[in-house]
Amino acid sequence: MTEMKAIEAKGLTKRYGDFLAVDHISFEVEQGELFGFLGPNGAGKTTTIRMLTGVSTPTQGEASIMGHNIVKESVKAKSLMGIVPDISNVYSELSAWENLTFTGKLYGVPKAKREEKAEDLLKRFGLHDRRADKVEEFSRGMKRRVCIAMALVNDSRLLFLDEPTAGLDVKSVRVIRKLVRDLNEEGLTVFLTTHNIEEASRMCDRIAIINRGKIAAVDTPERLKSAMKTSQAVEVAFTEVKARLQKRLDALPSVREVQKRGDKIRLLTEEPSKTLKEVWHFIEENDLDPITLNTIGPSLEDVFLQLTGVEMEAEIIHKRGGRRGAR
Amino acid sequence: MLLDELRRSWAITIKDMKIYYLRPPALMFGVLFPVALFFTFSIGRSMPPERLLPVLAAQTVFWSASSIGPTAIPLERRTRTFERFLSAPISLISVLWGKMMAGFLFGLGITTLATGIGVVWASQPVLNPLAFAIGIMLSAMVYSAMGILFASIPTGSPGEVIIPLNFVRIPLMFVSGMFIPLDQMPKIGVYAAFLSPLSHTLDLIRLGIGRPSYFGSLSNIGVLIVWLLAFLFVGQIFHKIIMKRE
Repeated sequence: MTEMKAIEAKGLTKRYGDFLAVDHISFEVEQGELFGFLGPNGAGKTTTIRMLTGVSTPTQGEASIMGHNIVKESVKAKSLMGIVPDISNVYSELSAWENLTFTGKLYGVPKAKREEKAEDLLKRFGLHDRRADKVEEFSRGMKRRVCIAMALVNDSRLLFLDEPTAGLDVKSVRVIRKLVRDLNEEGLTVFLTTHNIEEASRMCDRIAIINRGKIAAVDTPERLKSAMKTSQAVEVAFTEVKARLQKRLDALPSVREVQKRGDKIRLLTEEPSKTLKEVWHFIEENDLDPITLNTIGPSLEDVFLQLTGVEMEAEIIHKRGGRRGAR
Repeated sequence: MLLDELRRSWAITIKDMKIYYLRPPALMFGVLFPVALFFTFSIGRSMPPERLLPVLAAQTVFWSASSIGPTAIPLERRTRTFERFLSAPISLISVLWGKMMAGFLFGLGITTLATGIGVVWASQPVLNPLAFAIGIMLSAMVYSAMGILFASIPTGSPGEVIIPLNFVRIPLMFVSGMFIPLDQMPKIGVYAAFLSPLSHTLDLIRLGIGRPSYFGSLSNIGVLIVWLLAFLFVGQIFHKIIMKRE
């Protein structure tokens, strides 16, 4: 028996008048996964999260949370999730404690349990000392932590995080990333939208790249990168650069293009391991002294730019079988 | 299940009471405005207490109860805390009920205070407390629901809800027997007055201080209940439409 999906979106569409914000997207998120939803501003990330959380009604298509349809069984679906929107929508006039206990009441958590949970979360999120203070006195990072804690009061099994670290200082970003990773390691499924490529690459098990309301690719960060064969390279630097060296390296069978980068020579290739062997053989044959010899894979940024900048690239990944989960 | 929804709804009421009762739009239109209107209406005119007290009570409950929804909901849209209700496992009607109760309790509190002072100051006894209490309580529900209906306007500014609401509130005062007693109105005016919930509030409060009800107490209660259900029903539909658009 297959495990129930944490999120299942089928043909999810949102139209505002003539503007198609989200265009028939389909994807699945496994339980326990940290799933990234990466896209440029205005790509449809927040609209998607609003439909998945029941804040906005899809124009077309459907989504289910742990097997419960978000429109038809909204109460059941909503009771299983916690939501952290792109701004910290906390009640500034209330204390951190009141914010958490009010959320507990809203989710029908019994008094003793919600107070115990609020106490635990405030301690875990480093806010216990300030629990009686009004949230309006808190820093942006602290408000973000209150917001995440509010999303966990109901023992949610799925956490939606919309741009959780946007606009925060470096320290707060680190704290929040660690919290999210720890929560995921404890079994919580996390759906994270971000336009921060580095964040998605470092944190997520799988990533969906969304652009202009359409999903361009869904896969693990590493597989997305390896699908971008044209961006792979071998980089070499020598103690002494001999005449015609660049031209001779260009003649290596697996090398597609040679680029001079400062004191280094970058050899673009689609077969980095083969190129590495050829370069090593070339070094020995010509009695050269290498300082560095590295393979350079494409960054997720390369993948992102290719996918969001040139739509055809999405199809290339699709043909290579790189789209797991996307239909 | 219903009890559970009511508990969640009550949590919203308590939260709104803590946050919005002392907000400037609530104080301005819920307290200051009815008091100012009352003094504008009464100062310099030698009117008997049995004419003044129902006007004081009716317009206080009318303005105060209808001011919390238009203050709370736009502010919650601005801070996006209203989204919390939409993504929480609670029905929209329970959310709106919770908000309506906050307006009801605000209206009830302010009106009780204003009317209490009025009763003592004018030495006007309340001879039919039941009619008096029903008049104020039922009206507070109706006007609070009216405020919730107008708060479906998708804006983050209370002013953008209060201004269109005032376009309804102010004319209603002129057709409800506040300034011209119902028995002195032309026939067309009486028809209009019958449709206005404020006439029935005034009528029930008049009954409370021992004066006869113009339309009859059953008509008063019936019309107020119809308006309450209509405001709640239409309000819920409007909020749902806005939700679909968002």
